[in-house]
Amino acid sequence: MDNSNIHSLAEYCLNLIEHKNSEIKCTDIFFEKSKYINIEIEENSIKNNEVGEDNGVSIRVINKKGSLGFAYANKLDRFTIERLCKIAIKMMKVATPDPDFKDLPGSFNNYPIVNGLFDKNLKNLEIEDSIKYVNDLIKVCEDDEIAISQSGNFASGYSKTYIFNSNGLYVSRKDTSCLISSNIIVKDKLSKETSSGYERQVERSLKNIDAITIANLALEDAKRNLNRKKIRNMKVPVLLTPKGTISLILRPIATAVNAETFQYERSFLVGKRGQNIGSEFLNIKDNGLIDGAAGSQIFDDEGVPCKNKKIIEEGNFLKTGLLHNSYTAGKDGVESTGNAARSSYVSIPSIGITNFIMKPGDISFEEIMKDIKEGIVLDYTGDSPNISTGDFSGLILHGNLIRNGEIKEPLNETMIGINLLDLFQKINAVSKEYRVYGAFQAPYVKIKSVNIIGGAN
Amino acid sequence: MEISDELKEIDENLIKQLNQIAKEKVEYWDIRTEVNNGTSLDFNDQKSKEISSFEIINCGIRAFKNGGWGFSVLKDLKRESIKLGFQKAMKLACLSESLCKVKFNINQRDPLIVQYQNSRKKKLDDIDIEDKIKLVKEHEQIASNYSSYVKNTRTIYLDGHSQTLFLNSSGSKIIQDLSFLRLFCLVYTKKNDTIQSSVNSVAGIGGYEIVETDEAINLSKKTAKEAVALLDAKSPVGGKFTIISDPKLTGTIIHEAFGHSCEADLVLNNESILKDKIGEKIASEGVNIIDNPTLGQGRQFNLPYELFGSYFIDDEGIPSEKTIIIENGILKNYLHNLETSSRMNVPPNGHGRASISSERPQVRMGFSYLEPKDWSLEDIVEDTKDGILCEDFQYGYTDPTSGNFQFKCRFSYRIKDGEKQEIMRDVALSGMILEALNKISAIGNKQTFNYSVGMCGKGGQRIRVCDGAPYIRIEDITVGGLN
Repeated sequence: MDNSNIHSLAEYCLNLIEHKNSEIKCTDIFFEKSKYINIEIEENSIKNNEVGEDNGVSIRVINKKGSLGFAYANKLDRFTIERLCKIAIKMMKVATPDPDFKDLPGSFNNYPIVNGLFDKNLKNLEIEDSIKYVNDLIKVCEDDEIAISQSGNFASGYSKTYIFNSNGLYVSRKDTSCLISSNIIVKDKLSKETSSGYERQVERSLKNIDAITIANLALEDAKRNLNRKKIRNMKVPVLLTPKGTISLILRPIATAVNAETFQYERSFLVGKRGQNIGSEFLNIKDNGLIDGAAGSQIFDDEGVPCKNKKIIEEGNFLKTGLLHNSYTAGKDGVESTGNAARSSYVSIPSIGITNFIMKPGDISFEEIMKDIKEGIVLDYTGDSPNISTGDFSGLILHGNLIRNGEIKEPLNETMIGINLLDLFQKINAVSKEYRVYGAFQAPYVKIKSVNIIGGAN
Repeated sequence: MEISDELKEIDENLIKQLNQIAKEKVEYWDIRTEVNNGTSLDFNDQKSKEISSFEIINCGIRAFKNGGWGFSVLKDLKRESIKLGFQKAMKLACLSESLCKVKFNINQRDPLIVQYQNSRKKKLDDIDIEDKIKLVKEHEQIASNYSSYVKNTRTIYLDGHSQTLFLNSSGSKIIQDLSFLRLFCLVYTKKNDTIQSSVNSVAGIGGYEIVETDEAINLSKKTAKEAVALLDAKSPVGGKFTIISDPKLTGTIIHEAFGHSCEADLVLNNESILKDKIGEKIASEGVNIIDNPTLGQGRQFNLPYELFGSYFIDDEGIPSEKTIIIENGILKNYLHNLETSSRMNVPPNGHGRASISSERPQVRMGFSYLEPKDWSLEDIVEDTKDGILCEDFQYGYTDPTSGNFQFKCRFSYRIKDGEKQEIMRDVALSGMILEALNKISAIGNKQTFNYSVGMCGKGGQRIRVCDGAPYIRIEDITVGGLN
């Protein structure tokens, strides 16, 4: 399917809808064609090689009262488009009116320039040439004394997206991405206890993939968690690793500043715009314009240009700190922030982050550790906070004791409980080192003191 | 059964050609294709957010050689595309074979040629979209008008129809035609600064009759009632407690914290705490845990349709069967797909499932449950000096390599000297699953047994499941509240 074909299908569709029903206000069409390769390892051995492709289209139709109909299929021909138009209109007719709907975006004169989002080496990558990355993973596990197994994968994907709407917008983009992941199991020879460690890397260009480092990080993670101990209740400083920072600070804030969550008043940050919600160390932005970053885009999934937006500055939650798509922006009477996101052609645009970043600090990880006499390092909890209340109480799945500035025994059956607003106020150090996990960039963050509930009581 | 035009493309002639291509190059292959369509209605605060309809075609072609798999995914069912995809899958299988260190064979099975269509008293296609909308609106109204404390409501209606064709190198040809429906209700309440929520769903394999049972009709009212009751719930206490767990919470713990460890793919990958434990006593005497995805179990719960987690034949052409996992405290069987059963040299037990044809089958549960015994709920409560009765389930997770779990129930009651006290909220339970299974001190009777429905995620694939249990009592569980 070439560009001119997609173009003529889109025009055909827009024409068809325009002449179908005088009640219709606007329409958008989203095309996506994609292909991927995936190599999986299990039991530290290559297990499966996979290739796949998809071509899909979705049509969104909205009438003058704001009623919205949506239909999608994964066949790209005139016959299918015609049927989808009919179905989308049928859906629109039964939908409820929505006076909050203003309009779809118009066309834009300028789009930002962001480099490094497409790597032709990835688009043309053959599975045979990707084997070396998983072989690197396998070797790290093989060479270690106590590693007993590893699962993981290497995947790469290419997609081309086209967005058209009845306000004259037409844009297209090409994206590539690749991913390497490692989950290593280690077993202590004496205690026979096992534990696992996980690490992943997502990149836009193949040259940045570093399988050996990823496997080594997973291995260190697994070893740090071997021979876990139950501890007693305590109230101590907690050091969040970058992964911990993502699950307790970045991800919850990303959900809480999503304008849709906000408008439904399901966010613990409702009523807090323009106010201080954390210590001076809390600085957050959403930046879609970083060259080569996993979350970067020229435009969002409605065709609106992406931006760099400050969300929280020195603990102040900015009045402009919400992430919008065109619908929520229209409802609030502001401009879309370029955060419309679809999981693929199968979904209507919701709201998503681009690159969600916590600003690193001035001091090093070592300097922060040095000051902690007794504390906890929290790397991973399977739990996530309650976004409407900000309450968090969860099990520390990967975490260790800190004694005299050193990482010590891993924790078993240990829970942590805190309200996020309390946690944000208690941030008293942020490291200059940071890690990038896909669309998140996170430093180490120290929380002054937190209640820890141990399993040894 | 009327076969869709797309699936008719794959005829005997094409199958013959594929067999020719595969001859002596690969040891096993299978093709899964499906044609899906459905409707999704998503309402928020009595307004439609998404009214949508879809038509999706999926095809996954798998080839196997001596420990190596190749998989090729396509989205059209043209003969030429299938042939090309088939050749790709074969090539990838040979590549995997040349690199893999773990060698094994797939045990050959007799071909199965069969068609299955689930019964549907009211066909989804015969129900007008306006009627489906009306149903959702009614639920939204009931929830919104339940109390002035109701802040937001959300109701999601999803239905779907899928026709799948399965072919494999042994000559199997299985056509299944399924229709399913899920209705999902979420209510947020607010009083002063307290925000609470509750969520419930009804789902099954069948027709529109799924939303016409008493349980379905009462769904929004029940959800609103729970969310309002939670507003006055006190903060829970922390520490070690005796727990009485309701069917919904127990079923989830059985599924999440234990069931996944029984999946033989995790066992083979050293990710399960149950490795090398077949034949060992791992739970209290009297504990029986089963996974039974076979059809015909809706009746047991007075449902006019099939359970959401049930299936006729799995996604590798193996009929579903009842698998005994724990019998009287002793671990008897793992759950298997074609590969794990071949490698462990046991018969497959029909647990190879994929979310859609373009995903590879994994080892998955269907309807997993703890069998009831003899305690009534009243007797369990009366017999408990100091404990917490935990009801419903918010979410939970487990570290598979250690068995360390945490689950959050939706609400709970303190039990003191055999008496149920005031309602509490947000109770989190944690423990080690193999310790917990040995601390079960009472198992409820048949009258206390119930099931629940859900979508289970593993390796990025979400599939339909059910779990079930009676009320049970577990000693010595760590409970953590916020305070």
